[in-house]
Amino acid sequence: MALDFDPNAESNGAGGIPDDQFQSLEQVFGSPEFERMMKDEFPEDAAEWLDPVTRRRFLTLSGASVALAAAAGCNPSLKPASQKKIIPYVKKPEAIVPGVPLFFPTALTLGGVAVGVLVKTVEGRPIKVEGNPAHPGSLGSTDVLAQATMLSVYDPERSKGITEKGQPSTWDKVQTALKAVVDSQVSKKGAGLRILSEPAGSKTTFAGLMADLKAKLPEMKWIQYEAVGTENVLAGVREAYGKYLTPIFDFKKADTLVSIDADFLTNGIAGIRYTRDAMSRRKVRVHADSRRADGVSLEKLSRIYAVESNVTSMGGVADHRLPLKPSEIESFVRELAKAVGVQNVPAAGPLSERAKEWVAVVAEDLKDEKKTGVVTIGNAYSVVAHNLVHAINDKIGAVTKGAVSFVEPVGAELAGKNADAAANGTGSLAELTAEMNAGKVDTLIILNCNPVFTAPADLKFGAALQKVPNSIHLGLYLDETSALTTWHINGTHELETWGDAQAYDGTATVQQPLLNLYGSHSALEVLVALADKPSSAESIVQDTWRKFHAAQKIAVDFDLFWHKSVERGVIEGTEAKAVEIKAGDVKLSDTTQKSPAPATKASDIELVFRPDPTIYDGRFANNGWLQELPKPISLVCWDNPALVSPATAERLKCEVSYAWTAGEHGQSHVDKIEITIEDRKARVPVWVVPGLADDVIVLHFGLGREIVGEVGKGVGFNVYPLRSTKALWTVGGIKPEPGSAERTQEKYTLASTQGQHAMEGRRPARHGTKEQAAKELKSEHGHMVMAVHGKDAFSFADNPPASAAEKDLMRALLPGTPKEREWMADEHHPQKFFAKGFKNNIHTHEEEGEEGGDHHAHDKRLLPLTLIQDHEHNKLYRRWGMAIDLGACIGCNACAIACVAENNIPVLGKTEVTRGRIMHWIRIDRYFSVPEEHGGTQRMDAKERAEVIAKSTAEVKLHFQPVPCQQCEKAPCELVCPVAATVHSADGLNDMVYNRCVGTRYCANNCPYKVRRFNFVQYANYDKESTLQLVNNPEVTMRTRGVMEKCTYCVQRIRAAEIEAEREHDNPARRKVQTPMGVRPLIEEGEIKTACQAACPSNAISFGDLNQDQYVPVAKDAKGEWKPTGRRLPFSEVARWKLEPSNYGLLAELNTMPRTSYLAAIKNPNPKLLADAGKGGHG
Amino acid sequence: MPQVFPKRMNPISRIMLLSIPLIISTAGVSLATFFRSDYTTGRNEVVDQPIPFSHLHHVSELGIDCRYCHTSVEHSAYAGIPPSKTCMNCHQQVWNGADLLDPLRSSYNTNTPIVWTKVHNVPQYTYFNHSIHVSKGVGCYSCHERIDQMPLVRQSKTLLMEWCLDCHRNPEKNIRPKSEIYNLGWKPSDGTIDTDGEVFSLEKGTGTQAEIGRILKEKYHIREEKILTNCSMCHR
Repeated sequence: MALDFDPNAESNGAGGIPDDQFQSLEQVFGSPEFERMMKDEFPEDAAEWLDPVTRRRFLTLSGASVALAAAAGCNPSLKPASQKKIIPYVKKPEAIVPGVPLFFPTALTLGGVAVGVLVKTVEGRPIKVEGNPAHPGSLGSTDVLAQATMLSVYDPERSKGITEKGQPSTWDKVQTALKAVVDSQVSKKGAGLRILSEPAGSKTTFAGLMADLKAKLPEMKWIQYEAVGTENVLAGVREAYGKYLTPIFDFKKADTLVSIDADFLTNGIAGIRYTRDAMSRRKVRVHADSRRADGVSLEKLSRIYAVESNVTSMGGVADHRLPLKPSEIESFVRELAKAVGVQNVPAAGPLSERAKEWVAVVAEDLKDEKKTGVVTIGNAYSVVAHNLVHAINDKIGAVTKGAVSFVEPVGAELAGKNADAAANGTGSLAELTAEMNAGKVDTLIILNCNPVFTAPADLKFGAALQKVPNSIHLGLYLDETSALTTWHINGTHELETWGDAQAYDGTATVQQPLLNLYGSHSALEVLVALADKPSSAESIVQDTWRKFHAAQKIAVDFDLFWHKSVERGVIEGTEAKAVEIKAGDVKLSDTTQKSPAPATKASDIELVFRPDPTIYDGRFANNGWLQELPKPISLVCWDNPALVSPATAERLKCEVSYAWTAGEHGQSHVDKIEITIEDRKARVPVWVVPGLADDVIVLHFGLGREIVGEVGKGVGFNVYPLRSTKALWTVGGIKPEPGSAERTQEKYTLASTQGQHAMEGRRPARHGTKEQAAKELKSEHGHMVMAVHGKDAFSFADNPPASAAEKDLMRALLPGTPKEREWMADEHHPQKFFAKGFKNNIHTHEEEGEEGGDHHAHDKRLLPLTLIQDHEHNKLYRRWGMAIDLGACIGCNACAIACVAENNIPVLGKTEVTRGRIMHWIRIDRYFSVPEEHGGTQRMDAKERAEVIAKSTAEVKLHFQPVPCQQCEKAPCELVCPVAATVHSADGLNDMVYNRCVGTRYCANNCPYKVRRFNFVQYANYDKESTLQLVNNPEVTMRTRGVMEKCTYCVQRIRAAEIEAEREHDNPARRKVQTPMGVRPLIEEGEIKTACQAACPSNAISFGDLNQDQYVPVAKDAKGEWKPTGRRLPFSEVARWKLEPSNYGLLAELNTMPRTSYLAAIKNPNPKLLADAGKGGHG
Repeated sequence: MPQVFPKRMNPISRIMLLSIPLIISTAGVSLATFFRSDYTTGRNEVVDQPIPFSHLHHVSELGIDCRYCHTSVEHSAYAGIPPSKTCMNCHQQVWNGADLLDPLRSSYNTNTPIVWTKVHNVPQYTYFNHSIHVSKGVGCYSCHERIDQMPLVRQSKTLLMEWCLDCHRNPEKNIRPKSEIYNLGWKPSDGTIDTDGEVFSLEKGTGTQAEIGRILKEKYHIREEKILTNCSMCHR
């Protein structure tokens, strides 16, 4: 029988999957066009190339290629065979073996904080960034910006030369000029010299050189400015503890985490590390093995509360999310401080009933002695709020329990007499601007920043800069600042220079140059020239650590110490010294105690400024990978619309009217609003995000660059003009009326991927609660097992309603589940695995007692009906599989961009994205839902649902789900390919053979997961002259026009590891195992990591061999016979994940047997908050 | 209406009808032959090189091991073309004035690489890996034939996919003891001692390719046809 479902089945029965999730508002409103769109794999427009100009060009090109082909066929000299060249080295560098990649440890910084990375280079050409497992800020993972930095290195639009007043100049002349500057300043003690840069670490060479320079020129000033500044964070610590300290969080210890608009990944500092730590407490493993760091048991699941004015990843993973206006958040902090028992808390402003309930419940949870609570707050909130949060953390014992600790300040100059200026970047910048206007600044040196674009608008930095007689700018690009400076020096990328940088905890890393594409110069070189030292950047960095080596009295000699430090990517003993803080050390400063209550006016709209999630403060504007990456929550790319809630959109009289004409959702026509603050204006399009706090407009700064390369020029909107020194992060008192925030008559087209690839309400991202999970478990022999015998999945993770037998079959058809293992070991299995010796290794302890367990014989009538032949062989040996833990996924998109970098995925541009053609092989689906206690969204008609959503005080929940190719064992795509271009490999990969593909797109039509991508146009860059060619991974084919492509589980990495293992078949160091196919060299767990898995900051992706537990390690005995040397190997990590009852297959009911499966998110909501919510008091 | 064709034309028209399949099949066979011809595949084509390097002289007459120049053959996908430095190791002393070696000396002195023309071309979507082949007992000979007898290098096999698959389906035909990988003149009946000391000889009954292939396929853990013919083995 086939797996047909009763359409009238109760949709919320046992194990039922209520359809309560939606991706976009159209889904909620149930527009018929949306329904129609979902029926098509490709939006209608996507099938045609309507742009007349490009179409004509296409015909010209195709004509030319036919002519070329004909010529190539007739003329032997044109045959490609005689055209390819081999260019060997003249003298081969020792370490380089052509074809064997090398990994160099170095560090990438953002706002002066380093993430340690390993850069993969092939033949001296860096192509990919991976995290450095030895680095505390990375632990092997990276974020979106680190992954994309590779493209910036090769950006052909980078600045390539030195200019003086717009005329080409040379480095020699720069050096002379710098020397002249110092000479002329010596008499003035440097009073006329100012250096503006990003923040730097206290132990770095940069800070050291700056100190040297200041010793020589004591009146000189160094301004450390960052648009995404941490002034409030630093000032908050100073208020609380009397001096500047760097707080370090240990979220692994946090049982209760309250995040007050502190989204790790946009917070800048230690985002990767903090995500890893916090998410390690969100991965529930019922079969948790204490020896392995897979996850935590159900009891140890942490609870996260998020209070936020934006919708962030943090809110997405939280158990409870409270949207509030920024001013209300200030009040919330005060109320919370009062509720946990902090004394002398300043008065709070008005708060809604719901927020007050929250305060009570959260405070109670935080005060729980048995649990470790910790509160974090974003850098956008006031010093008062930061001070209060430190007081709360002290009061609830977070400090004594070790969830928060303090170390000596990591930032430069934070310990000395300049501390206040160093901590307050924006204040220092304002002071600098005043001095520039007063003519006190003779020379301004701007190193690696773009203040003309990023400075608060009220400073009018550009105008002030023009008053400085001599200004020098060093940067990666010719930008808004370089246009106004006397000199411009083409700066190096961080991968092009010697340097050093410190992680969030002070750990230092030596940065080493991997290439220098354009003969650029680094900021260090400028400082060296200023100090007039005759040394290179390398020796100056070495000198810094030579001093450290001497000061620390390190036993090994310096050369060894240096080489080890460079090789590991971490300098030992550099982490900042811990500062002992005792309970009660914290105090509320006078200013905090006397601060007036935050003014919240119910009718006012508040603006919220945040850095763009992918472009940051604007520095990555010319990076096509980042521009095209959908922003985590809004899923808009190539733009930065103002985000508002549905109710606020209504207040602003804006609507997002979707262009259904083409039946696609790649583009939306939206209204633009004009926001005016004083005399400063900005026009931005409006995008509606459910769940955003009402009366809040979220503006992301960083886009709208004017002077930058072609990629970033004019993309998005510049909202910096609305930012001022007084209101860096939020502006209140905005009203929906002319002269404040007014809808214009202008319409704008946005590219958003949120409706593309929708999966028609099958509730793909499943989730349950701790209580639900606990109810279905019982303890047996010290193990947690399912309470109902024979059940292997939680109800909330289980398949859609069906008969019990069908459900069993569906589980048995999901690779890796206990049911499937049982079935594979069953003698009735149609593939007769017992003959091959497949062992169900799960219940080995049970087998000893009873005879062979009690698996019931399968009803043979239930064999799945399918046209697809069994790939019998695909279960015999290495059996690759992937599991993704939705509980830990924060939707940050690092996986997507890692995939872009690894697999040569092209950038299309906004126009193509609006046609629904985005090429990413892994996408993160983002679903919204409304909890049942707020009426839910299930079993309602479209109108009712719409009303629930529009009342956005309802706590809209978010769910993230990364969707790569599911590598179905019975892949629907393979069935329909007329040319066998997509076929199965013996190890279970759904191979895509580009050179066979003729572009019928049948496969994509038949793919229920919508993961196949088609090259409608020649997207891949074949321009041999372009430096962008250099970023391509030589191990992956460049796809041409007319070819289908998709995720391959990074098959190039699998094959590379296989070749290495197989090559070592006679190397005793390589373990051998007995497999059903004979003795084979073993690929050890972790040898293969897919690009997405390696990048994931929360370790939410696991990949490996599902059959590892079938192998028995063997070795040759004296006679040369293979003999077992031990017990069978343990389950691989991915196999263990798949045995979890929360494991489910996406659309597994379609009988596709997906190798990729998901672990349903298990949330830990506070029952009190749920019960209280029933009383209403909101909306 | 009178008949246009006389009756004697009937057999001719029958022959013409019958010859249609013949023509089609001939065309098919010719196309297939053309597709596999030396002209199309570039087999046996001698390519102009900046220096007419002779493997015959260096390998057969002087006895230099393959790996002296092709250093990465055991560790990398690429066997490696020697850097000018490798040539100069000898040619600083030997033939150091020969006009023929002008390009080499100028390359070495001016630090500009010699640009060789590729002889064995594999399409860019095919990822051939030297190291795995030599470590599993596929000798140089299997693809390059008697390259040691070639004054100028030419491609000796078609390099068509069917040729690759032929061996991936039946690797036994091309597997030799690992001690003989770089011995281009090796014969199964030679009486070979493998690197681990195992002896293959006619006396032991293991002096034929069939026997050697069978034994070594197991010994070298060579995977089965099902796996070796996966598309993603070579195409990624």
